Amino acid sequence: MAEKFCVSLSFAKDNSDKATVGFVVANAAAASNRETMVFLSTEGVRLSQKGYADDIREEGFAPLADLMKSFVEAGGKIFVCSPCFKKRGLKEDALVPGAAVVGGAKLVEFLAGGTPCFSY
Amino acid sequence: MEEEGPAVAAREFAYDAGDLSCGELLIELRRRMLSLRPGDLLAVTALDPAAPLDIPAWCFTTGHALVFDRPPHYKIRRRRD
Repeated sequence: MAEKFCVSLSFAKDNSDKATVGFVVANAAAASNRETMVFLSTEGVRLSQKGYADDIREEGFAPLADLMKSFVEAGGKIFVCSPCFKKRGLKEDALVPGAAVVGGAKLVEFLAGGTPCFSY
Repeated sequence: MEEEGPAVAAREFAYDAGDLSCGELLIELRRRMLSLRPGDLLAVTALDPAAPLDIPAWCFTTGHALVFDRPPHYKIRRRRD
């Protein structure tokens, strides 16, 4: 099994720079044959909704929606913090491809064994 | 079991990455390498200032061979699966 890598991301439009760079790094890990997961929590969970990232484009970077798409196409997974998701009234039927709403057990399972985690 | 066929000549492709950097560059390299046959070459031009460190590191991590390394020009041989 491939080595794992996690990017923890807690921003969306409140810090589109961090949201974008988080997915750039996630792409780097996925492109380097790591089983990579982006963990979205607090405001970051908004990125899990189809269409939300469509107007996020940081200067010098690809559009965020394109970065998310290429990440998932490279085998990346997006875990979405369940209580953060529910708190904001987001919709499960509007999840972007590759995203799944998870609880702490899935996060702990993924990180078990010393998986590195990079935070934004 | 299938018998191994005659050796197939390696092909060479060119990719101008411009100033793409970090994950954006690597995800493109990955995509392009996956479309090649083992042993094929990808001649890459990459202008990003981090590319001279990033491309060798990516090759090391993924198992592809960096056979030419003179920034901004690189040549990567796709690994044998």
